Amino acid sequence: MAKYAMVVDLNRCQGCRACTEACKIENNTGQGMFWMHVFRFEDGAFPETRMSFLPRPCQHCDNAPCVKVCPTGARFKREDGIVLTDPDRCIGCRYCELACPYGVNYFNWQKPKDSQYSDVISWDDPDIQAITGGAYPPYKNPDLDKEWGPEGRRTAGGNHAKGVMEKCTFCVQRVEQGSLPACVDTCPVTALRFGDISDSESPVSRFIRENEAWSLLEEAGTKPSVFYVGGKPPSHSYKEVERPKARV
Amino acid sequence: MATQIDTHPTALPQQVGQLTTGWKLAMGASFLLLVVGIVAFIRELSTGMIATGMRNVGTMGGASWGLYITMVVYFIGVSFAGITIAALVRIFNLRQLRPIARIAELLTVVFLLMGSLAIIVDLGQPVRGVINLFRYARPQSPFFGTFSLVIAGYLAASLIYLYLGGRRDAAKMAEYPSRLQRFHRWWAAGYSDTPEEQARHRKTSFWLAVTIIPLLVIATSTLGFVFGLQVGRPGWYGTLQAPAFVTLAGVSGTGLIIVLAVIVRRMVHDKTALGIDVFAWLGKFLLALVIVYLYFMTVELLTLLYSTPEVEKQLSDALLFGQYAWIYWGSVALLAIPAIGLMWQALTRRWNVGWLVAAGIAVNLAAIGKRFLIVVPSQTHGTLLPYEVGSYSPSWVEYGVVLGLFGLGALMIGAFVKAFPPLPLGDREEVTADA
Repeated sequence: MAKYAMVVDLNRCQGCRACTEACKIENNTGQGMFWMHVFRFEDGAFPETRMSFLPRPCQHCDNAPCVKVCPTGARFKREDGIVLTDPDRCIGCRYCELACPYGVNYFNWQKPKDSQYSDVISWDDPDIQAITGGAYPPYKNPDLDKEWGPEGRRTAGGNHAKGVMEKCTFCVQRVEQGSLPACVDTCPVTALRFGDISDSESPVSRFIRENEAWSLLEEAGTKPSVFYVGGKPPSHSYKEVERPKARV
Repeated sequence: MATQIDTHPTALPQQVGQLTTGWKLAMGASFLLLVVGIVAFIRELSTGMIATGMRNVGTMGGASWGLYITMVVYFIGVSFAGITIAALVRIFNLRQLRPIARIAELLTVVFLLMGSLAIIVDLGQPVRGVINLFRYARPQSPFFGTFSLVIAGYLAASLIYLYLGGRRDAAKMAEYPSRLQRFHRWWAAGYSDTPEEQARHRKTSFWLAVTIIPLLVIATSTLGFVFGLQVGRPGWYGTLQAPAFVTLAGVSGTGLIIVLAVIVRRMVHDKTALGIDVFAWLGKFLLALVIVYLYFMTVELLTLLYSTPEVEKQLSDALLFGQYAWIYWGSVALLAIPAIGLMWQALTRRWNVGWLVAAGIAVNLAAIGKRFLIVVPSQTHGTLLPYEVGSYSPSWVEYGVVLGLFGLGALMIGAFVKAFPPLPLGDREEVTADA
């Protein structure tokens, strides 16, 4: 069975946040929610400052603290390594969020709007149809509401609901159909790679092997499925700059 | 007392069934608080938890657990101390403390119910929570202990304990003709105080007490584990979490028992019912627990200040000198000053009930403060990735719901003391003789 992993090449990342955009549009996430967040860090004192960037998706840990603490099994890890949330089973206790050392979980504090990004567009307009070729707008994408995987749960997360948790799904709805997660697909400089690490000859496996990959907060023992190449782990002397306006 | 019954042959002892003006005023105020709580909760249900001050940890710069979880921990802590004292009274046969056993048990039952309601109001999906917590229960989650052991097991055990402990008095109460006679008869359930029944009663309550103590130490420890097992939150992860939880639980519970005992003593118009020796014992017990807790706090503080990796430093700075310093040092003062006062009273052996009540209230405020400091700063200042520090302050909805819970608790206690004698009947002669 495949085991999915993501590799972030920090030597290439230029902090453009296109991945963040792609994620928000693909998954129709609500205001202030960043399933994929890109830190922009500044270190040192002027004029000796240095910028660095760190994309932070869910780490899809093999030893996931969020899965361990979930009282109802709404948060679970699939055999292929993807950690998902079942919004129909989640009771909204937010324990997963506090157990996670990476801060990747988002709670729906209010009833999310159906469409986050396309309020002004009428999708039935023939002019629009001519451009989109009749494609589904992201928030009407039926894939987001389907039951995925052998477990058969509505885990793609497009069906945002008040009072439950959500987070990055590695775009399970795309991966199941053989495409790449939206962030990986969008990255203009191929800083993000995605693939099967159970196959030691896959491009991702080779890339990890050849480049001394490291993972975020290794000391927490979470065994992430997201690896980093180049750069160095962020320290608390880093100052986060250009933060998105994220408080709802 | 016997004289009271003689002069008012129809009146029940200890003012049971008599709705005085003071009681009505207190209950009216409690009911108002409950209404405020219900209004606030409806608001939270209709708009979502955006009505609270809580927000996501990390990019959103908030705290995802706030005042509600603080109060869950506080309420369950108080209930823990109630049943511990009640069980200690039976196991070690602490004769002079028997009068407060039922007050302590009552406090346990009421605060457990308040604690479980505080969990429910904190859930994003309260109705689904009640169903799914049982339907999909996972023992691997530290929450499992909170729901199974604390809410279910321990509530059942303390209800049984309260019920069995009250049967003898229920039988006595059922001899008085009153509107409550049927209730008292139901409670007595055929108990008629024969020597065999007394022996069986003593045996049952002794063994029940013996089983209840380990159950509740484990239960309160699991509550500490909810925090103590999390590597991902600096300030939470630690071995000291569980024992410190149990100790602070004892502090707050003993403090509230003192307050409730004084109220009951005034209510029954009988100062001999609860002698000063009872309060002296409670005062010394409280003093010992506060000292143990201050010791834990010092150990924790030294460990935090001595080693201080970067994130822990950010957290300890916020606690000791920053945003949370006033709560931290306020709590320390509210523990240390009562401790000095109690020590003075213990040394001079002159116990003042007024001072004891003040100490009881002070340590409870300190306990709420400390619970808040366990829950919140690790979220706003304890992110392992360098997110900018967050902030949290409760909204009126959260304050309203918590006030409502207090109102509900006061209503339950008020209803109980007018339906059943809060102090045991017929033990008072022995008590005064001992004193």
